Amino acid sequence: MATQSTPPPDSTTEKPKPQCEIAGLSLHAAAFCKTAESDFGFNSSLLDLGKGEGNIFSWGVRGVDINEEIEASEVVQPRNEDQQDAKAAATISPPSVFVNSEPMREEQVQNAVKFLSHPKVRGSPVIYRRSFLEKKGLTKEEIDEAFRRVPDQSPTVTGVQAVSANQDGQLKSSNIQQQAQAQTLHPSAATPAGVISKTGTQYRFHWSHAFLAIGFLAASGAGTAILFKNAFIPRLKSWIRKIVLEGENDIVQKSNSKPSLAEEATAAAKAAAAAAADVAKTSQEILTSKIEENRRLEEFMNLLNVQVQEMKSMSNAIRKLEGPNNSTGRLIQQEDTRGLMTTSKHLNVNGKAEFDSRSVRSSSPPASSEPSVAPHPKSYMEIMAMVQRGEKPPNIRDINDLPPNPNQPLSNPRLAPRTKPWEVGQVQYSAGHAYQSQVTGEGFNSRAQDNGVAYQLNGDSSTWWQQKNSRITEIETEDESRTASYTASNEQPIQRTWVPPQPPPIAMPEAAAAIRQPKSSIQRESLVNDQSVSRPSDEIDELQRITKISESGGVVEIKEESSGLNSSEMQQEQE
Amino acid sequence: MLVSDCCYPCKQTNISTDLGLSFPQPVQEYPDPQPGSDLPSNQTIPIDNQKRDPKEKESEAANPNSPKPQKTKKMPVFKTPFNGYAVKFSPFYESRLAVATAQNFGILGNGRLHVLELSPAGPISEFASFDTADGVYDVTWSESHESLLIAAVADGSVKLYDLALPPASNPVRSLQEHSREVHSLDFNPVRRDSFLSSSWDDTIKLWTLDRPTSVRTFKEHAYCVYSSVWNPRHADVFASASGDCTIRVWDVREPGSTMILPAHEFEILACDWNKYDDCVLVSASVDKSIKVWDVRNFRIPVSVLNGHSYAVRKVKFSPHRRGAIASCSYDMTVCLWDYMVEDALIGRYDHHTEFAVGVDMSVLVEGLLASTGWDELVYVWQHGTDPRAP
Repeated sequence: MATQSTPPPDSTTEKPKPQCEIAGLSLHAAAFCKTAESDFGFNSSLLDLGKGEGNIFSWGVRGVDINEEIEASEVVQPRNEDQQDAKAAATISPPSVFVNSEPMREEQVQNAVKFLSHPKVRGSPVIYRRSFLEKKGLTKEEIDEAFRRVPDQSPTVTGVQAVSANQDGQLKSSNIQQQAQAQTLHPSAATPAGVISKTGTQYRFHWSHAFLAIGFLAASGAGTAILFKNAFIPRLKSWIRKIVLEGENDIVQKSNSKPSLAEEATAAAKAAAAAAADVAKTSQEILTSKIEENRRLEEFMNLLNVQVQEMKSMSNAIRKLEGPNNSTGRLIQQEDTRGLMTTSKHLNVNGKAEFDSRSVRSSSPPASSEPSVAPHPKSYMEIMAMVQRGEKPPNIRDINDLPPNPNQPLSNPRLAPRTKPWEVGQVQYSAGHAYQSQVTGEGFNSRAQDNGVAYQLNGDSSTWWQQKNSRITEIETEDESRTASYTASNEQPIQRTWVPPQPPPIAMPEAAAAIRQPKSSIQRESLVNDQSVSRPSDEIDELQRITKISESGGVVEIKEESSGLNSSEMQQEQE
Repeated sequence: MLVSDCCYPCKQTNISTDLGLSFPQPVQEYPDPQPGSDLPSNQTIPIDNQKRDPKEKESEAANPNSPKPQKTKKMPVFKTPFNGYAVKFSPFYESRLAVATAQNFGILGNGRLHVLELSPAGPISEFASFDTADGVYDVTWSESHESLLIAAVADGSVKLYDLALPPASNPVRSLQEHSREVHSLDFNPVRRDSFLSSSWDDTIKLWTLDRPTSVRTFKEHAYCVYSSVWNPRHADVFASASGDCTIRVWDVREPGSTMILPAHEFEILACDWNKYDDCVLVSASVDKSIKVWDVRNFRIPVSVLNGHSYAVRKVKFSPHRRGAIASCSYDMTVCLWDYMVEDALIGRYDHHTEFAVGVDMSVLVEGLLASTGWDELVYVWQHGTDPRAP
């Protein structure tokens, strides 16, 4: 589903649009000019549009009128810190955090409009304009707004103030074009619908603006009329006079010029003769020098020929001496030079990677871009060179990797998906679980048994990849009556709501008695041990004691008394 | 989920594996390591130092022949015939991982997908491998089927492989829709039925396992999309990193991207979500930096991690530790960071001798890292240990 179409203006926003536009206006003209440069980093040469008087003027005017509205709407200026507050408050209520809930920043939109209106930018593809604005940190809405505001034809800048759509009808006749600003709507291109929606809000402060504009126009009209009277007409007259005078002068001059012609002709003839003589001399000199050069060239050629012959004889001798070794030397030289050439080519290509068409895969790998290029392995450069020459590296095989049966049914899953460590205590998404009911019980049983078996096999020598698993105290939540609730904080293995298992029922009282006797004595020991080992545990379970005993080389039977084979082993391993 | 009388009658006995405990998987899954497929994975690189420090390379070079300490275990290294591009641990088996490789550095050539098995004894063995006509740039495991894996191929196709089927039946699907190389794949860990593919044709496609064609195409980036990653908690949200220097956050329910983060001044090669804070993203760029972002305040990064000397190729948030990030870079190192800590760099491994291009952290085994690079080696090691020695 292509997403280049802009969403309808009122669909996605949760906020009232007009207020946000107003709210985004900066009240400080200086700040505006600064942000225009700093935010966008435009070259001053690139964009001289309306920096300066015009802006300040308009901002000043607007600022006076919109103050009330800003206070009324109680929206804060879009500075970062304020945005945080707004967003912090906003994030609790709206459904998604992953949406940009900033109000639209008018500054940014205006900067974008300026950027888009620039003739140089107009020549570039739309996608690159969007990409540039995105990189500057504009949100989608701001970019769409800017695109909407910039008309298809480029408006020229004359320094006249922004006028709302109300004035369009009046101004069309006077044929004056306005500066491309946020509030300007080009008369010819503005869509009436969009315009009308804005006029309502901008109605108030544009009346005064309109009056001022009319006054200015009248004044300029009067001024030009006066200028015309004072400057133009005298010029015209003088010009006419000039022509007339010149015409008279010409006639006089013609009569004067005749007698001097003969003199001039003789002088010219003399000069020509002299020049011809000079030319003859120089040409002779050139000829002689050429002859000399030719002679020298011939001498050179002779010498060269002699040397070439000598070299040929030498190479013949060498060839005879070293038959097979000659070829490799040549190759190495060629590769090096080609390697050098292609590295430079490679770098150049990647330097322009962003905006060039990507024909070869070699231009796309991200490694060699502007910041210091990582030195590629030599064989990489060789292969690049080969590819760019059009050669195929020799080790490629033809492999048919298509599916033999595209409709092959996938095998049924046998294992249930595992909970992730970060999904502790969360409701599991049940969509994918439906199939699990079909899994046979046998599969699970056998797996569980194998797990038990495998674990016991490896219980003593933990595998190399399980070392340093001090954090895996999830082992302790083995208790099957509990749900998967191993907490992320695994500091104290003891502090769990884990009910110590009841001691097993006594099957053979005599044995139990026999066992208990040494146990009681050991219990005293273990108590002492506990105190000495400063274990910060409040509840020392029977099981803990038992395992410690077993660890210290105690009685084997105690192991059997413990409730679960696994748990004891695990604790053993852990300790 | 684990109520005893629900539809999963055998859950109780299987809790230990479900909890992601570090049990090795039952032995019946392992084939006998075949001598043929076992490429020199038993090679021992003579290294003495147990502790990682930046000067290790020098010391290694100094004493290549010094006597090794007694070792009962072998090296966890696997040599692939082609240059490595990506590694991914299986979400079902702790000891299984997939490796994507491409011949001739991925410029032009075949590709191969390896499925490796870590054995308790030490060496890494190959469980399966699949050849492709073009290089494999990325691989991902299905979250719903333990035997399914998906490969991103340089000819623009997305191929599905099923390990439970005989090798001759593979691949089971080849989805050809992208017009350029598919650079990355990610399977939805919440819904577990869909996955994303990001391509150099500037688009991201959403697929489900049951459909032969893509469900949606997201086309907004102005340049190659290098990575797209699902949010670990929100089923419909994902983020994408592109060569147009922006990160976009998308919601599948919306027609277009919902956020645009101009994260870097240069191409962004990778991104990932914080598993423990669903609003935190990390991005890695050609400008050698790694930036951590909070989408609630996306104008300013939460943290900027500098330390790599060349472009950072891949970045991953730890599945176990809240602030830990693993990254690999063209400076041949794999670094471990914790952005919540004062001194962020908590580990640095320079075991690769060429660009380190792929890194992954195991979800099932805490602290287990894997990396691969253009030096055709795959290393698996526990954080804090030396990758080249157990």
